[in-house]
Amino acid sequence: MLAYIIRRLIQSIVVLLMVIVFSFSLPYFQPEGIYTPAYSVLGTHATHANILAWGAQYGLNHPFFVRLWNYIIALLHGNFGFSYKQGQSVYSIIATNVPRTVWLALSALLLTLVIAVPLGMIQAQRRNSVFDYAGTGVAFVLYAVPSFLLAFLLIQVFAFGILHLPSQAPTALAPWAMFTNPVAFILPVATLTLLGVAGISRFMRGAVLDVMVQDYVRTAKAKGCSARRVLWRHTFRNALGPIITLLGLAIPGLFGGALIVEDVFNYPGLGYQAYNGALNGDLPLVIGITLLVAVFTVLGNLAADLALGIVNPRIRIERSGK
Amino acid sequence: MTATSLTTDAVATTVEMPVPMWRQRLKIFTQNKLAIASVLYLLLITLFCFLWPHFHPTNQTNQNLAINNPINQGPDSQFWLGTDSSGFDVLGRIAYGGEYSLTLGFLAGIVTIVVGTLYGMISGFLGGVVDTVMMRVLDAFLSIPYLFLLITLVTLFARTATLLILTIGLTGWWGTARIIRADAMLIRNLEYSQAATTMGASKWHIIHRHVFPNSISNIVTVATFSVADAILFLSTLGFLGLGLQAPQTDWGTMLQNGAELIPNGYWWEVYPLAAIFILVVVAINYIGDALRDAFEVRLLER
Repeated sequence: MLAYIIRRLIQSIVVLLMVIVFSFSLPYFQPEGIYTPAYSVLGTHATHANILAWGAQYGLNHPFFVRLWNYIIALLHGNFGFSYKQGQSVYSIIATNVPRTVWLALSALLLTLVIAVPLGMIQAQRRNSVFDYAGTGVAFVLYAVPSFLLAFLLIQVFAFGILHLPSQAPTALAPWAMFTNPVAFILPVATLTLLGVAGISRFMRGAVLDVMVQDYVRTAKAKGCSARRVLWRHTFRNALGPIITLLGLAIPGLFGGALIVEDVFNYPGLGYQAYNGALNGDLPLVIGITLLVAVFTVLGNLAADLALGIVNPRIRIERSGK
Repeated sequence: MTATSLTTDAVATTVEMPVPMWRQRLKIFTQNKLAIASVLYLLLITLFCFLWPHFHPTNQTNQNLAINNPINQGPDSQFWLGTDSSGFDVLGRIAYGGEYSLTLGFLAGIVTIVVGTLYGMISGFLGGVVDTVMMRVLDAFLSIPYLFLLITLVTLFARTATLLILTIGLTGWWGTARIIRADAMLIRNLEYSQAATTMGASKWHIIHRHVFPNSISNIVTVATFSVADAILFLSTLGFLGLGLQAPQTDWGTMLQNGAELIPNGYWWEVYPLAAIFILVVVAINYIGDALRDAFEVRLLER
């Protein structure tokens, strides 16, 4: 198992290095290349010599690999670069925004699991019942609604139609606004949750259906296990595997969804910053946030992989065997 | 009704040709009423988008001319679905934007499936070090939040139809490649591929004669979902103000413009299009699901 963990860790580092190289190359594709920040800092009247001098000051004139090396070293020191548009370090922007997005995404994720996992199980248990068809139908429609449209429709119905929930998330910058003003979070979290439920409940239904036809489930029934024990002990635990893997993979999508939700509900967070950064050509900021999400994803996949070994002893043995 | 007919019956059953595979599959597909409804709906919307402007031409490109129309006017006998904030006829604009949304989504989906299939096939078939490297690259791509990358790329380049197709298409194939790779690995290890290998068939021969034809069902299914995804992502770009530039438009951009005006009660600028749009994506996804069922070997008559 230890050998497996070490191999997985090395894999993760390699993947992260590739993400870094990729995102490091992106600024070269700007219209003015990597010198673009110089133009926005020095203004339109800067001469070519000014631009080059400014670039030399920040090491832009070094070869690609020297810059890449310096960049990686800087990253290891927690230096994500400098946002020239906002005039502060990317690290400080990320640090103030991370808690808000993580609160939003995590609460939506937890709620999604609490709803989608039982829903998928019940659907699989009562396959081809009215309940199953209704669940599948709703999931199908939700899956086809773009997140911005879903947010808009929820606002129309629950903010301006009935209930009169707040149509804006709290703009208070403190991350604990979630607790001081929970009502304002209902709609943003509901949007993300509904989108998540659409995908995960269907996936859970499929996973349970796959497990239900396995020999060991039949054996369990044959040896006289109670229906409850077959469901929880044999079916549920085995169906959990694919869901855990899916959760690790779903992290980038979760942040993507957060981007839209933050934009619609005027909630300042990572997605909001990334979107505005992209609009303003503030690449260091966008890349910094992208890298952070990539780190989250890689860690999430790693955690999912290790958790898989915990819920499924067979995988543990398989891994230590080789 | 006697012996003769009995014998002919017996003969008929013994020499009866096996029903070709594609026909059985078509039968399973056509037995699915909802799938047929989805196909019909998609056909209807596509025909509407491409033909309606010819039957009922409206100005959709000249903003100066459109300004002579009443702005944000409700549906009446002249403008069946009213006009939008620029004075464009909304019904005509749904068709005009749909031409872009459907075409771009379709083409981006095709790019996705072509690149994803090539990548997945090569990686899964060659295996070994090549596969490991290709898969780690894929892992790296998959850990980048797709939407972030998409908006970054779209802001870096000009937002023309071609570039949007390429941007969405060339960044959407990562999941596809994974599925196809798993398929290729599976088929590579099946008896007929191994038999071909022992008989000295080249790798390329095995890929295009055995692996590719046998994973075509998965490719077609995934392609359907890719098109739906591409249409969704295109609309998201439109919502973020990063869709096609005026006077061109797409459904996402139209939904965004309409949603902004909803507080004024201009329902005709959002809800009809929203319904059409959602149903289009539902229909495509449903067709994908039905195709997957039709390709499922277990369901074939044996």
